[in-house]
Amino acid sequence: MKESVYQTYCPGCGIGCGLYIRKDDKGNLSIDYMKSSPANLGKLCRFGVTLAHHYSEIKTTVTGSEADVEDAIKAAEQRIQSSDSIAMLSVGNTCNEEHMAFTRIADTLDTKVHTGLSIYNELASHCHGYLAGMPFAEMEKAKKIALFVDPYVQYPLIVRRLLIAKNNGAKILSVGTKKLNLADENLPLEPDEYETLEIDNESLIIADIHPNSDDDHIKRLIALAQETGAKIHFLRPFINGAGASLIEKEKIGNMSLAQIMEDIEAGNIRTLVTLDSDPVELLPDAEAAVETLKKLDNLIVISSRKSPVTKLADIVIATEPVYMKAGTFISVEGRVQENSGEGVDGIDAMSLLNGELGGKTFDYQQMHYRVKKCVENAEKEMAGHTDNKASDCVSDVKEVSRSVPEDMYELSYLYNPFMWFDQKDDNDFVIIDRKLVKELGLKKGGMVLLSSEKGKIRLRYMLSDLPEGLVLTAKKLPIATGAITNVSMEGC
Amino acid sequence: MNVNVGDKLLGYATDPGIRNRGASGGLVTAVLAAALERELVEDVIVLKHINEYEAVPIITDDVDEVLASTGSMHTVPVNLAKHATGKKVAMPGKPCDVRGVIEQAKRNEIDIENTYIIGLNCGGTMHPVLTKEMLINMYELDPEDVVGEKIDKGKLFFKTQDGEEKGISIDDLEEAGYGRRESCRYCDVKIPVNADIACGNWGVVGELAGKATFCEVMNEKGVRLLENAIESGYIQVEQAGEKEIAIREKVNSAMLGLVDKWTEKIFTDIPLQERMKYYMEQFADCIDCGACKEACPACTCKEESKCTMYHNLADDYKMSMYHMVRLLHLSDSCVGCGQCSDVCPVDIPVTTIFRRFADPAQKKHNYKAGMTLERPPFLEVMLK
Amino acid sequence: MADRKEWEPKIVAFCCNWCSYGGADTAGMGRFQQPASVRVVRVMCSGRIDPLHVFNAFLEGADAVLVTGCHLGDCHYVNGNYKTEVRYQFLEELMIEMGLEPERLHLSWISASEGEKFASFVNKVTTEVKKLGPSPLKPEGVN
Repeated sequence: MKESVYQTYCPGCGIGCGLYIRKDDKGNLSIDYMKSSPANLGKLCRFGVTLAHHYSEIKTTVTGSEADVEDAIKAAEQRIQSSDSIAMLSVGNTCNEEHMAFTRIADTLDTKVHTGLSIYNELASHCHGYLAGMPFAEMEKAKKIALFVDPYVQYPLIVRRLLIAKNNGAKILSVGTKKLNLADENLPLEPDEYETLEIDNESLIIADIHPNSDDDHIKRLIALAQETGAKIHFLRPFINGAGASLIEKEKIGNMSLAQIMEDIEAGNIRTLVTLDSDPVELLPDAEAAVETLKKLDNLIVISSRKSPVTKLADIVIATEPVYMKAGTFISVEGRVQENSGEGVDGIDAMSLLNGELGGKTFDYQQMHYRVKKCVENAEKEMAGHTDNKASDCVSDVKEVSRSVPEDMYELSYLYNPFMWFDQKDDNDFVIIDRKLVKELGLKKGGMVLLSSEKGKIRLRYMLSDLPEGLVLTAKKLPIATGAITNVSMEGC
Repeated sequence: MNVNVGDKLLGYATDPGIRNRGASGGLVTAVLAAALERELVEDVIVLKHINEYEAVPIITDDVDEVLASTGSMHTVPVNLAKHATGKKVAMPGKPCDVRGVIEQAKRNEIDIENTYIIGLNCGGTMHPVLTKEMLINMYELDPEDVVGEKIDKGKLFFKTQDGEEKGISIDDLEEAGYGRRESCRYCDVKIPVNADIACGNWGVVGELAGKATFCEVMNEKGVRLLENAIESGYIQVEQAGEKEIAIREKVNSAMLGLVDKWTEKIFTDIPLQERMKYYMEQFADCIDCGACKEACPACTCKEESKCTMYHNLADDYKMSMYHMVRLLHLSDSCVGCGQCSDVCPVDIPVTTIFRRFADPAQKKHNYKAGMTLERPPFLEVMLK
Repeated sequence: MADRKEWEPKIVAFCCNWCSYGGADTAGMGRFQQPASVRVVRVMCSGRIDPLHVFNAFLEGADAVLVTGCHLGDCHYVNGNYKTEVRYQFLEELMIEMGLEPERLHLSWISASEGEKFASFVNKVTTEVKKLGPSPLKPEGVN
């Protein structure tokens, strides 16, 4: 028996929880708790604890059959060369160095890497400080915290930070999700009622940004921070979402995931190259995403794990699993953390591809150096700006209003690591308001039938206090047509 | 030399390299290496060194890896019991590791005849992040400069690169919220008498201080372990004198003396009518990660276990079935190792809660989990 | 919530197929006066009753739980009820530690012919539990 141990970080979200992955000589994985990790003290959520099950091996393929990496790269080069409408996507599921290598290829092709977040384009660059995270220690010191996420389901590791804040005397208000045990008040507020939160400059707003988040709502929250002087902390999914938004900032494309899909539908994008980013997993309507991706001429996937998109891809360039990679990640706290692994398959493959495409080849050290420079520059920039203080960032807040047809309900996703990675979870139910139980005549232990234009599904339900007309779920449902889906509900 | 059950010995590694690297003469490392080399076991569980404050348990059949492993570290609060399941291994272990192994063996997960356990005296372990914080705030030392630590006469000493040594009394550290983990403060097994051999530096004085290990042979397996290491030339032992034995006992009773103080402090009485509310509040922020079960050395269930299968996230119970079932099961098997509290992402004092349930039940049945294989778990077995 | 005087507790009685279930039957046939509070769960042996079943009954809204089985020595499966006894003693302690009133959990050995004993046992427990009020573990919205 011979076991090797990798020091790595949980890919579930951007919090950057440290953990060990132990691998025995038969390839079996197990996790261990990295109690010295400053972000999480070794503690993990349900996703992290079961992480060893979430890795699935991937093989390099060309049009469905196994191939050598070199052949796959040559085939990729040919396909890319023969296409003139290329989009590249990397949302931050891999290390900074690989993301950097990916931008090198984009450079050679004279295009940009999209991270799926259009909010960066919506805000002037001196306002991007609002989107950068802050150390969790700040969270613990806030006097008042307004929560626009459900920490228990979405970002479980901040629950203890919030509890510490509460112990330190913070008042915690939860806005618009289900009833939270740790909140002092649960307020079902509409965006135009946020003034009633009475937020001031000792308060903290906690929300999240992800490929399906509503830019108008984010702007509404930034405006709130701007008006009140409150701090704002945006959480993110993906191990390196923060890094992907920071590395080679000026070369980041401005298209959201939805816009990329629209452009594929419209025929404006004929070739899509992805780096550890799967639109089928990321988009709420997986079936629609599959149909759209089928319209591409070329789908080239560079990935470290098997996922729905690898089945559709013309070419799959397989890289080592994330825990084995050499490289750094940036957490939502802004902490740069390094893997102990030494795998550079991903970088070598991208270097080779870049060379084939007429660019320069490179190695891990060069990419790592560039990343370091980028991080240093970003730090300098941040120190220059009094980041969270820019006051002219949002002026045109659109009225964010919900339009739900009568007798229908708004099915809304509580995005969590299991959803982003399309992994099985026990969240097999919807969360509904207490009042609805009476209205629908539901019985204890019964089920509820949800129907959308895409179909029907029967689910168990859990009770909570929710804003009127809202139904929440933490499981990706086949009846969803978007991050928000209008559904009708019946008892059954 | 012949080794007999009950012998109290002083021993050290013969190889000067191992002897000088190890904290107390490298006896434990040498015994493990000998067990592996002479095929007494197939594998050895060791701690792989990560940094001054952290190590990860791994299983290896490579003697070099055993020799390169870290010795005992106060900032590595892991439990090794579950790593031993289904294998023929030799392993070092604090009293709680050993208790975990015995609980696993009671439930047929570990073949105790083929598992050799070298017990290590333990006065308590510390959390690595808190330790770093303590070094900065209490010791005014840079954690990166620290190269060694030891506990002597109730004080915790840290040594820096430039040879400076600074000690603060553990009592003072713990009053300030640092020092040993909570579960260690009330743990009442400091010498692992449930292991095959019980080793430690308590009682090693004079010329041999820091260069040898005090070792008590607890059973026949312990005899085999030591004889194997002696025959292969890995270690040398001699009988311990009266003085050494007395000093070891004195250190032990001093450590146990602290236990009562902390037990009283931590297990404050909760009035009957407030208990339900107290426990419901404690578990109310649970995020259902399941880490307390995964990390539990007494739990022998695999993925499909009563606590998880009878629990459903959609249930709107006032207390989750998961915790209810765990409370039941841990009452007769909790060894108080503190792993569950360590890994709890919402800082529920799980271990202390389990002890609140386990202590009265175990006391009533005159049962202490993890001490001997002779008594089966009392929840499962008839009284007569 | 209904007026306190009208409140009828919910009592879950686990009954052994070979004895106390018959006892409950006999009680009915003998027309002994019984409150409407009892829900009987038939099990093949009281030894089948895992403590977690008891806890689950409380979590689902039971105000009291009765564990009933054959008299010691009469077990259809030789020694099932001895195991019940061990677990019961253990459960009793857990209940106290948890802060649930011990009056909410009872053990009784009732044979198939002891209909009157069953009825009076249930009556006694119902009166006791009525005094205590609803269980603190009862979910919201369940009465």
